[in-house]
Amino acid sequence: MKSKKAPYFFIAPAIGLLLTFSIFPIILALIISFTDMSLAGLADYSRINFTGLQNYQNILQDSVFLKSITNTLFYVIFGVPLVILFSLTIAILINMGKSRYFSFMRVVFYSPSITNIVAVAIVWAFLFNPSQSIGLINRVIGTIGIEPIGWLTDTGVSKISLVILAVWRSIGINMLIFSAALQNIPASMYEAAELDGATKWEQIRFITVPQLKFSTSFVTITTIIGWLQFFEEPFVMTEGGPLNSTTSVALFIYRNGFQNNQFGYAAAGSLLLFVVIICATLVQLRLQRRAD
Amino acid sequence: MKFNKLALGTTSLVAMSLLAACGSSDDSASDGSGEGSSDTLSVWVMGDGNEVTQPIFDSFTEETGIEVNAQSIPWSAVHDRLLTAVASGEGPDVVQMGSTYMAEFVDAGALMDITEYVESEEELSTDNFFEGNVETTVFDENYYAVPWYTETRALYYRTDLLEEVGYPEGPSNWDELYDAATKLSDRGDDYYGFTIPLNEQTFGPMFAKQNGSEIIDDEGKAVMNEPEFVEAIDYLNSFVESGASPSQDLGIEISQSFGGEGINPMFISGPWMISAIQDQTTDIEGKWAVRTLPEGPVSNVSNTGGANLAVWNNSDNPDEAIQLIEHMTSTDSMLTYYENSSSLPARMATWDEEPFQDENVAVFGEQLENSEHMPVIAEWDRVSQAYITSFEQIIVGGADVQETLDNLNQEVQTIID
Amino acid sequence: MININRKLKITIGVVLGIWGLITVIPFAWMILSAFKTNPEIVSAQPNLLPNEWTLDNFRELFERLNFDVYLLNTVIITALSFIGLLLNAMAGFAFAHYDFKMKNFLFVLVLATMMIPGQVTMIPVYLLLNQIGLTNTYLGIVLPGLTGAFGIFLFRQFFSSISEEFFEAARLDGASDFYVFFRVALPLSKPIIAVQGILTFIGGWNSFLWPLIIANDQRFYTLSVGLQLLQGQHGTNYALQMAGAAFMVVPILIIFIIFQKYILTGFNISGGK
Repeated sequence: MKSKKAPYFFIAPAIGLLLTFSIFPIILALIISFTDMSLAGLADYSRINFTGLQNYQNILQDSVFLKSITNTLFYVIFGVPLVILFSLTIAILINMGKSRYFSFMRVVFYSPSITNIVAVAIVWAFLFNPSQSIGLINRVIGTIGIEPIGWLTDTGVSKISLVILAVWRSIGINMLIFSAALQNIPASMYEAAELDGATKWEQIRFITVPQLKFSTSFVTITTIIGWLQFFEEPFVMTEGGPLNSTTSVALFIYRNGFQNNQFGYAAAGSLLLFVVIICATLVQLRLQRRAD
Repeated sequence: MKFNKLALGTTSLVAMSLLAACGSSDDSASDGSGEGSSDTLSVWVMGDGNEVTQPIFDSFTEETGIEVNAQSIPWSAVHDRLLTAVASGEGPDVVQMGSTYMAEFVDAGALMDITEYVESEEELSTDNFFEGNVETTVFDENYYAVPWYTETRALYYRTDLLEEVGYPEGPSNWDELYDAATKLSDRGDDYYGFTIPLNEQTFGPMFAKQNGSEIIDDEGKAVMNEPEFVEAIDYLNSFVESGASPSQDLGIEISQSFGGEGINPMFISGPWMISAIQDQTTDIEGKWAVRTLPEGPVSNVSNTGGANLAVWNNSDNPDEAIQLIEHMTSTDSMLTYYENSSSLPARMATWDEEPFQDENVAVFGEQLENSEHMPVIAEWDRVSQAYITSFEQIIVGGADVQETLDNLNQEVQTIID
Repeated sequence: MININRKLKITIGVVLGIWGLITVIPFAWMILSAFKTNPEIVSAQPNLLPNEWTLDNFRELFERLNFDVYLLNTVIITALSFIGLLLNAMAGFAFAHYDFKMKNFLFVLVLATMMIPGQVTMIPVYLLLNQIGLTNTYLGIVLPGLTGAFGIFLFRQFFSSISEEFFEAARLDGASDFYVFFRVALPLSKPIIAVQGILTFIGGWNSFLWPLIIANDQRFYTLSVGLQLLQGQHGTNYALQMAGAAFMVVPILIIFIIFQKYILTGFNISGGK
């Protein structure tokens, strides 16, 4: 028999910690978002003024904030499917071979996740350099007669460049999750399919992918959340430029709120982002439930 | 089953370290961090203090018998660390404060008013320090810090390339700067004459000052669209329009832009670039120099930066803290500090010492005589960010100068009100 | 496991090899740069391989870091963060295999914690830890990040994909809930524990913000903080930084290679337990 108390015991420590260190601060942030709290207010609470919805009104009229929203949507719409597709493909391909070579490939594809961000920034700045004599990518495409592209300096291209970079960085961890999940598919299923004359492609299509339902839903949700909080890539590569073409919502919040100590304003931006992410996640969960 | 062993091993390791943690938390509570105990001062310095400042603290302890507990804060996390200190009220006794941080932290009441010490101690008197730095320590006629190190901007140029276009000593005024830059950019497609940095918050305002403009006037009115300001931005924009400056960040290191063929043979920067050039380029030794900024229509005023030393507002040992600040800002300590970190002393008398007779370093000493700090207001960060956005719109986006600056001025006015 | 013939295997190997080569370039650059001089790293014509191999960066690194202190702290913090792995697994197991009041609400609550930027919570969490006297303790450094929605969610998804029958058999034998969790569920989830273990290790090993903010004393600094200290206000010594990064990544690689074995031991293969 399952004990009635057991689940509470199992979740209590984790929930307790999350309530204390995440939920409680979020509630606090909600309160702060209705105030004009700045550094002075942080030091002396009597200097905090309640400003109602002012922060929300201001931020929704801030043209840079609105731009950062469309930028972030761009990142999510193009980035998330690519990450899922590539990490799943690589996980399946690696799983097909059993030799040391294939195991080694897992380390190789995971390596971007453990490469120091400074090294990432230097190498990619070099790859993306606009000059044909320095930038490696431009040098390569130059040999087939394509004009140099301002990967990070052209407002039309900069977002694409950051998506390329971020996809490269986030394949590793998701590939790993898919790899783990792949071990749970009983070999007997493939054997049976093989006997029925299914091709490799059909085995992937009708056995592997459906069996990865739970991990796919996990990867989808966490990737969407991660990309809605897109921050590090524009932060180190472009600082949001040129002309805010790469500024994400998270970068906007950081720049306007935390660098300038406008905590109320930053909290308002964070909570708007928070609501958007919750909605996106709920929609995603609902869609998956319907698909089941 | 192997995995279970691993898990077991991990768990016991965890349990052991947990015990160790509790143990160490106990004794750390007893020796504290300097608060309350009068024979230990706590100090926060930015960057690697172990190397740079520890000798200075050691000599202080030797002289006075007061122990110093120095904590180094990485530059990347300075703001976070200071914020949490303000939030909890628990800071060190003495803290290094970047000059641009001063206004907001004074406003927040984080720093102690040390006017009485500054007025009574001869060594701390403001006459000893560069005016541009003193400006950042005084608020409402009260003093909240003592200048420690300073920095200013000067013009770096490639002597060999500038000689070819007729300016062996580098350009000495705005017209010459423009002339030299356009000639240098005529060398070819990917060559330029002068760097216009897009994310340098003091660059445009500094040129505006050289043209006789203010940024915010005495009555607290923003004047970033007055004719002198607009003219200066127009002047900078003309470099980009004529192709003498790249309209984008080239994303390359100094060795690539300034070394070798000298894609970008002139740029304005601080004293730290001297060692950067020496370290990073091997091929242009003796082919570059530094000079004071080219004279604008009104002046060649540069921009002062640097850091001060302040006492945290609830320090229990203000007398000892001041003693330490006096020690740290003495000529001897400043010399040690310069040797270890290349940071320029804010004390003027220190400049008579030998290391500052070096040709390139001396240029910065000369420029410091004519150098001001940007407005010392709590909202400066936001103002400068608004400026950067507008400047980028003009340089990269080709926006109309007057119109953009009109908008900027309006925005800045709202920020400072 | 899909059975493939030799030819297909070689084709896949080649495709992966080429793709992998492109992927690994920045990592290789990081490692190799640790053996270059700084001028060489920033030179106009960079090569992947050092012109002249040097160990000076590492020498300088170890001379300037308070190495013994930082390493010990890092190991302690990493070890402590593994408690969180267990707590996450427990919570994930409950969410996957039990029905209880407010389960859906609590789960959404857990997910919600993933969605707020860290900077929003930094100051409140610090004040809280300060209030309960956990500043200047290892516990205070570890506690804020001990459990996380990502881990709980990952375990929950994984346990959901395991059929209930595995547990029923044990329960019929009269096993307690804890027995089922520790002796049936955990061994079944080796692959995902291994994934989580890698992530936990990396998180603890690289921890930077809390060791810095919680400590009023350099005695609590970690290797990451120490490395950041070496960075100047203006400009960076890339060579030193790369040496530090290369050094920091070695234990991660070792852990990865060890844990990878367990990622590959699905329950249908190992069968024994």
